[in-house]
Amino acid sequence: MKKWVFILAKWVFILGVLGLSWSSLAAQEKLEIFGYYESQAMGTGLQGEFYQLFTNKLRVDLKSDFSDNITFAANFDYIHYLGKTEWNVLDFLSDDVTSTIPEDMQSLYIIAFSNDTFLDNAYMKFSFKPFDLTLGKQQISLGTGYVWNPTDVFNIKDVLDPTYEQPGHTALRLDIPLSPAYTLTALYAPEETWEKSTKLLQLKGAISHFDYNIIAVERVWPFHDYTEFDTEYMNFVDVSEKRKMLGGSTVGELLGLGVWAEYAYNWMEKSGDFYELVVGADYTFDFQTYVMMEYYRNTLGKSDYKDYDINDWMRFLAAEQKAICRDQAYIFAQHPATDLLNVGLQTIYCFSDNSVAFVPTLIYSLSDNVDVYAYLNFNLGKESTVYGKNMGNGGLIRLRAYF
Amino acid sequence: MMKQLLTAVLMILFLIMVASGQELTGEDIIQKVNDTMNVDTSHAKAKMTIVTTSGSKRTFVQESWSKNKGEKNLVRYLEPRRVKDQAVLMLNNADDIWMFFPRTQRVRKLATHAKKQKMQGSDFSYEDMGSGDAFIEDYVSKRLEDEKSEGYDCYKLELTRKPESDLSYSRLIIWVIKENFVPIAIDYYDDKDPSRRVKRLVQSDIRVIDDIPTAMKSVMFDLNDNTQTELEMLEVKFNIPLDDNMFTERALKK
Repeated sequence: MKKWVFILAKWVFILGVLGLSWSSLAAQEKLEIFGYYESQAMGTGLQGEFYQLFTNKLRVDLKSDFSDNITFAANFDYIHYLGKTEWNVLDFLSDDVTSTIPEDMQSLYIIAFSNDTFLDNAYMKFSFKPFDLTLGKQQISLGTGYVWNPTDVFNIKDVLDPTYEQPGHTALRLDIPLSPAYTLTALYAPEETWEKSTKLLQLKGAISHFDYNIIAVERVWPFHDYTEFDTEYMNFVDVSEKRKMLGGSTVGELLGLGVWAEYAYNWMEKSGDFYELVVGADYTFDFQTYVMMEYYRNTLGKSDYKDYDINDWMRFLAAEQKAICRDQAYIFAQHPATDLLNVGLQTIYCFSDNSVAFVPTLIYSLSDNVDVYAYLNFNLGKESTVYGKNMGNGGLIRLRAYF
Repeated sequence: MMKQLLTAVLMILFLIMVASGQELTGEDIIQKVNDTMNVDTSHAKAKMTIVTTSGSKRTFVQESWSKNKGEKNLVRYLEPRRVKDQAVLMLNNADDIWMFFPRTQRVRKLATHAKKQKMQGSDFSYEDMGSGDAFIEDYVSKRLEDEKSEGYDCYKLELTRKPESDLSYSRLIIWVIKENFVPIAIDYYDDKDPSRRVKRLVQSDIRVIDDIPTAMKSVMFDLNDNTQTELEMLEVKFNIPLDDNMFTERALKK
């Protein structure tokens, strides 16, 4: 009963924001409608076959300024999938791992892509001199890392595509500027009870040419035990647990290099505590080539690849945890080959299992509002490693038209 | 009587010398250029058109604000839709740079090396757009023989990069209109090879706006890639009141 009350309250909250927004919009003269259409093809060579997954995505954004102080923004997404829409994770794993799984469970490790229409963001922002209040479903970006963000408990980036937009999260966010350089942020992301809701406090500031922040978060982390199946919920057993995180990040310049670092220590309610660390640096040469390197340590990851088990793989591939291996490095180089074409190379190396992935990339501007992004990925590690040959080699091409 | 005549002749000679600018050194001229370019506050809307080697065009419209003689700068893109609301905040004469990406709602602080990057793939780098006192702080100026350039009587200056500077060009040759101290043309020379010209900027359509002589059109030619980018001012206002709160990370995300 209690659960339903909170679910109802959550919907009332979202619909309230939307209702308030739409009623005010009716009185508005200027409503901006924009967005993009995205067509994407992804392919992977696996066990002698080449599998393809096609995606059509339409994103429609609405934005309106009710006054100098009040803004409404929202976006709806429609995603349509075609091709191989169901992937069995076990097809990518070595016999060492799959042999531990009972035969009657082997068909359960499916990651499915199904057509979806959803409200990605819908929020109102109230901006006054002493504070900004953002209410509703909104993007939350935390940390200074490029590929990995230890302090971001809301999102997990795709290592091969780290700048892709992240989903919205329902929250009430209050930003209080203490001075031009210092801001205090309090955020509450409601769940069915106060205890299960996310609470966040962050102080951002600057010393000399360095920005830094200190952040404390309490959040229930959604985890599953992928060795046990719950027939009542037709899903793997939910083993979510509370996580308390204290962290910080900084970004600035040292000896001409752009440098950043991010750290988070996590106290877990039931399982072992762990920490995450990112350090990175970047530089642009006079001949316009841009290079970046980032090192990431996550003690939740394993230091020996022979210890990777089905829970590690599933939690990693289902984006429940950020890494399966303990220490990784990401190196990225990009060069503007012409004024419309950027070519690059991403290299991701896992120190824990000596596996490596090479990902050549291309960004081409077809017109003012149409661009193409493409990459190939080559996994060169040995079997059972995170960037191992058995993960398949393939690529992606994405055409995006903005309107 | 003779003494008065001599004084008058000397006065006339002095005035002729002043009028012809003979007494101005390279440092004096570049200071005047700096004073002309760096007004207290400004607000502008500009259209940037990139012409590629294949002849195709990309057009951007941007709005910018600056304060404290260019010490604080905010640039926000209005068009095309692909980059709309992307914004760049530069403080402390562009020693501190933040970029806002609206699609991810992420603000990223950039190191000063990012100034070497092309602005939206154009032939202007962020460094070329000028910030604060770069001509004075980063270069030593030497006056060369006066020349006519783009139809104007100009002072010609050679600016040589100071050893401690990390800017991208080893030297610049600047033609400054004598009448109003607007730099009508600038040649940029390679970082390593001071004899190799890599870019040329030509300004035109000089108008007086709010008592400030202003080039309404600038074209940057990349002599290596054989491409060009045109920057056309659509609206310009000078010495308007601008709140310091406009130049904060909070305002960047608006």
